[in-house]
Amino acid sequence: MRGDSFSMSIENIPDSPMVSRKKKMKIRKVFDKMTQWVTPWRSNLESPREMMILRGDVEQDEFQYASSHCLSSYYSVFVVRLAIMVMLAILIGLLTVLTWHFTRIYTKQSLKTLAYGLRYELLQRPVLRMWSVVNTTSELTTAQVKLSEYVIKKSDKPTTQEELVEMYQAMKDVTWALFASAKALNAITINYRNGFVQAFHRDPASSSTFYIFSDLKNYSINGIGPEDVSGWNNQSIHGNMSAIWYQQQLDPVTGDKLGKPLKIPPDDLINIAGISQVPDGEASWHVTVSKYMDSPLLSAALPVFDASNKSIVAVVGVTTALYSVGQLMRDLVDVHGGHIYLTSQEGYLLATSTNGPLLKNTTNGPKLMKAIDSEEWVIRAGAQWLEKTYGSKRPQEVHAENVKLGDQRYYIDSFYLNLKRLPIRGVVIIPRKFIMGKVDERAFKTLIILISASVCIFFIGCVCILILTNGVSKEMKLRAELIRQLDARRRAEASSNYKSQFLANMSHELRTPMAAVIGLLDILISDDCLSNEQYATVTQIRKCSTALLRLLNNILDLSKVESGKLVLEEAEFDLGRELEGLVDMFSVQCINQNVETVLDLSDDMPALVRGDSARLVQIFANLISNSIKFTTTGHIILRGWCENINSLHDEMSLTVDRKKPWAPMKTKLVQHRNHLQKCCKNANKMVLWFEVDDTGCGIDPSKWDSVFESFEQADPSTTRTHGGTGLGLCIVRNLVNKMGGEIKVVQKNGLGTLMRLYLILSTPETADQNIQPDFSKYGLVVLLSMYGSTARMITSKWLRTHGIATVEASDWNELTQIIRDLLEMGSRDNSFDSQNNIADSLRAELSNIKEIKNPVFVIVVDIGVLDLTTDIWKEQLNYLDRFSNKAKFAWLLKHDTSNIVKTELRRKGHVMMVNKPLYKAKMIQILEAVIKNRKRCSGLRNRGNWNSDDSSETSGEKHIDKSVQPSTLHSPVLKNYLIDATNSNDDSTSASMTQKNPEEEDWKDRLYSGIALDGKNLKSLEGIRILLAEDTPVLQRVATIMLEKMGATVTAVWDGQQAVDSLNYKSINAQDPTEEHKSSEEETANNSINPQSSLRNSSPYDLILMDCQMPKMDGYEATKAIRRAEIGTEQHIPIVALTAHAMSSDEAKCLEVGMDAYLTKPIDRNLMVSTILSLTKPSSA
Amino acid sequence: MDALIAQLQRQFRDYTISLYQQGFLDDQFTELKKLQDDGSPDFVAEVLTLFFEDCVKLISNMARALDKTTGTVDFSQVGASVHQLKGSSSSVGAKRVKALCVSFKEYCEAKNYEGCVRCLQQVDIEYKALKTKLQDMFNLEKQIIQAGGRVPQVDIN
Repeated sequence: MRGDSFSMSIENIPDSPMVSRKKKMKIRKVFDKMTQWVTPWRSNLESPREMMILRGDVEQDEFQYASSHCLSSYYSVFVVRLAIMVMLAILIGLLTVLTWHFTRIYTKQSLKTLAYGLRYELLQRPVLRMWSVVNTTSELTTAQVKLSEYVIKKSDKPTTQEELVEMYQAMKDVTWALFASAKALNAITINYRNGFVQAFHRDPASSSTFYIFSDLKNYSINGIGPEDVSGWNNQSIHGNMSAIWYQQQLDPVTGDKLGKPLKIPPDDLINIAGISQVPDGEASWHVTVSKYMDSPLLSAALPVFDASNKSIVAVVGVTTALYSVGQLMRDLVDVHGGHIYLTSQEGYLLATSTNGPLLKNTTNGPKLMKAIDSEEWVIRAGAQWLEKTYGSKRPQEVHAENVKLGDQRYYIDSFYLNLKRLPIRGVVIIPRKFIMGKVDERAFKTLIILISASVCIFFIGCVCILILTNGVSKEMKLRAELIRQLDARRRAEASSNYKSQFLANMSHELRTPMAAVIGLLDILISDDCLSNEQYATVTQIRKCSTALLRLLNNILDLSKVESGKLVLEEAEFDLGRELEGLVDMFSVQCINQNVETVLDLSDDMPALVRGDSARLVQIFANLISNSIKFTTTGHIILRGWCENINSLHDEMSLTVDRKKPWAPMKTKLVQHRNHLQKCCKNANKMVLWFEVDDTGCGIDPSKWDSVFESFEQADPSTTRTHGGTGLGLCIVRNLVNKMGGEIKVVQKNGLGTLMRLYLILSTPETADQNIQPDFSKYGLVVLLSMYGSTARMITSKWLRTHGIATVEASDWNELTQIIRDLLEMGSRDNSFDSQNNIADSLRAELSNIKEIKNPVFVIVVDIGVLDLTTDIWKEQLNYLDRFSNKAKFAWLLKHDTSNIVKTELRRKGHVMMVNKPLYKAKMIQILEAVIKNRKRCSGLRNRGNWNSDDSSETSGEKHIDKSVQPSTLHSPVLKNYLIDATNSNDDSTSASMTQKNPEEEDWKDRLYSGIALDGKNLKSLEGIRILLAEDTPVLQRVATIMLEKMGATVTAVWDGQQAVDSLNYKSINAQDPTEEHKSSEEETANNSINPQSSLRNSSPYDLILMDCQMPKMDGYEATKAIRRAEIGTEQHIPIVALTAHAMSSDEAKCLEVGMDAYLTKPIDRNLMVSTILSLTKPSSA
Repeated sequence: MDALIAQLQRQFRDYTISLYQQGFLDDQFTELKKLQDDGSPDFVAEVLTLFFEDCVKLISNMARALDKTTGTVDFSQVGASVHQLKGSSSSVGAKRVKALCVSFKEYCEAKNYEGCVRCLQQVDIEYKALKTKLQDMFNLEKQIIQAGGRVPQVDIN
């Protein structure tokens, strides 16, 4: 698709049918574009279009920054455009030139032919006229000659004067007749031998006709013989001054004489042909001029012979004016324009088409003019050009075009007319523009039109190309951009990948120095010689370092999870206890913020599960701390319930009320479970559901999924107000997924967020631990007087489900009323005084309670119910004290409850005090303490005091209070939640104050007991039997001492062979303790593990520490041997390698031969302890 | 009397610190001292005696192995000995000896005879120097105890 339009727009293939449709569209688009370009300046009305243009500009801007990146493509587009334009230009230019050329050539050709014909015709006519004139003259002359001969023959030698006169008269008549008949004649002359001249002459100027004759007297009849011919010449005529010339005007029509003959001077004579003109007796032609004519005359002369044809008796001359030829030429030129002239062979002008003079006036009379001397400029110039071009050797015909005369172009054509004795040359000069002028003009116009049209086409073509290629270049830019961005994305992904790998690899390197810093700070803090300021500073540094480490851990955890390197531990742990600890921890934080922290675990939750406790705690710690961050008032509830994976249907029906919005996850879970059931049918898997419910600001539903992404926070301003990296929830989700569960934000009624998650954890194979004590039979009545409503509600609900009557009170007034109702009623002898301000439901409950026989009242009082701000609390306490013999008080303290209050409470004999928050386990402990006490009380009824020797001092806690008797009660809850419980007496209210003080310290420690325990418990390896195989004496000694200090029983051997042997030997003689290389057995009193008696399995050792490089048999071989021996038995004794190598390849080798863990020398004690514990815990727990 | 004890104690403290600062000892020695208590009063001395015996034995072994006059040099045997020495020296915190062992081992693996011999000599010098220093320290300790004082805990950090 893209490629199609691409190629089309570049190459403009017109033939492809597939493209044609697109082309139409394209053309349309181009048209639109063009209209866009054309219209802007007049498109004020067309705002949408303008907007389009604006948008186009914006696009252009967008592309601007990209243009620098694809400069090469830009150039290639530019070059292509240029090439197309050049091709177009060449094409159009060629077309134009060819068109112009051909039209011009053809027109010219035809015109030229036409023009040639025209010119020829033009010249032909005057020439023909000339010809006819010459012919006429010739004929007339001949006729005259014939007539003269006839007359003269007839007279035949006149002898007398009369006869002569008579003959002359006859001649005169004949001649007149001829002359009168031929009007075109100018003159006829007869020159006789004796010198007598007879002539007729027409004068065109005065249009009169004259008869001219000479005086007859001087002429003899026979005075002239043939021998005198030589004297018969013109000279004699003109020079014959003796002769007298007469001129007589005649009537032009009749020939009658008008007036008398006049004498005329010889100068006025016309041209009379003499004997000289016919020297050889032949006819002769010449051109003459006459005084009376302004044009040349053509005169012909013929001799008249006598009868014998031997001598010339007279000469006849006929003169014709060439005037008529000139007239014709003028007529012709009038029509066609131009000039025509005729010249004689010598170049004398005979006739022209102009009115200019043909003769030149000299002192000797008019003379013929040469063409090159013509007064007419055109004729002169033409003649000069001919002269110059051809010189004397002038060809018969000349056709010249484009002759430049002056500033105009002319056609010059010259023809030669070869008349006998009078060759004539005709020249036609026609201005070029007369013939070709229009054509030239038209050709010029055509050329201009063609050029302008082609220029227009060229520009339009260029514009089209630009538009068409614009799309292409845009697309290319886009593509370049796309490629660049894809590249960038790939690089970014790669770098992100490197980053997580790098972080995962760096985890140790980052954590170690931080741990060192913190450790060093701890040492510094414990130094006594620090000043207060220094102490404060160091403490601050410690806090910051811890925060930094936590952040570091978060990031590293995340990267670890992301790079798939996180491996979850599989260890048994007490889920409830972990969560309780967590809630305890966070409640301290929350109480300051007026937020309740509530733990609500259902009873069916397994106490012990297998899994990674640290990660589990991390999940909830993250969730709860997150909730705390966003919750300013209200509560945070951590709910937990459980469903057995093997009883799908039960759990479905059981939990249906809680999981309505949970449907999709549910089905997924079912699938997941089916899968799980298939793969591990035997495993006792549990699906544990948890909810973290808060009343904070909540999360926008659109962010419900994205909050679990890394660095994602629901509200960007969170970082500013609450801090944090946005990693917490991401880690949580990763961990949850890793544990086979899912986490989701779900819809909740009211404010806040509800996070719901499930985890799939396996429970130990041991029997059901959920032994719930049955409280219902004791007739317990619990009065919950708590400030926070949520915790109170949850607790009371739980109590009621266990058959314990429960009354709630939210404040002091309510508490006092209920107490009065319940406790004082006995003294008032059942006269129940109905209180107005007690609600009906409560009253009903109270009346129910009254039905209970022999009730035991437990009053749980939140210290917050008392008014601690003033001293009223003492009076309140005194008031409550009055009922202390009827009910047992349990106090809920805050962590910041002042010592005065606590001592006062103790002074009054209140021993049951627990820290907030109150949750199930604490409640159970309170109830158990009460029940136990009651039993004792019933035993010692008369004394009326009670012992609360509860199970406070278990081994895990650091209570060294010797006054407390050892625990005898084995409740499922092994921990002590009571803050302090001393053996006190009812009447001996002066309980030992001195005794309390260390307990206070203990109580303080309790909050941080987790920290304290890790550092101080040196006996962490108690009871573990370790076989140490080490050949270096130094190391053996050091390791032995180190392990024994921590309570382990160590057997040291010197090489691998001994290790294998001792193992075999011991397994055979397991009961024999004498073989053990015993160092001082530091068995503590609490530790009941006896090596002789506690052989839970046949293995004599719990763990082997194996040096790798030993003489005789090295660690690898020994391990292989041990593992071989184990084949077929259920045993697997953990083997930890000890090596001075610190290479990962060594580790791989160690694990390959069957070792379980790996320690490097020198031995790090903590690492060793944790390794040993992780390997031996399952069997020693 | 008290003044003498105090002086001795200060002397002991300074001396110990100087040993750490000069790089003869490291944290592992501190660890070792921590392990000494009433249950095993002479533990450190015992371990150190074992260590020095070990040193004598190993060094003579190595010297024998590196002796060209007896024939070919057995680098593998030298390597094993160096490895052992490294393990024990690192366990008692003899820092200089341990550092020497590391380079010694590299020479050994590269079968560089000259390097090995040089390292052997240095190890010999170094362990003897350490022995002298520690003996001085123990003498100081004894003096303190004889004077009726307590051996102070020296915290290096």
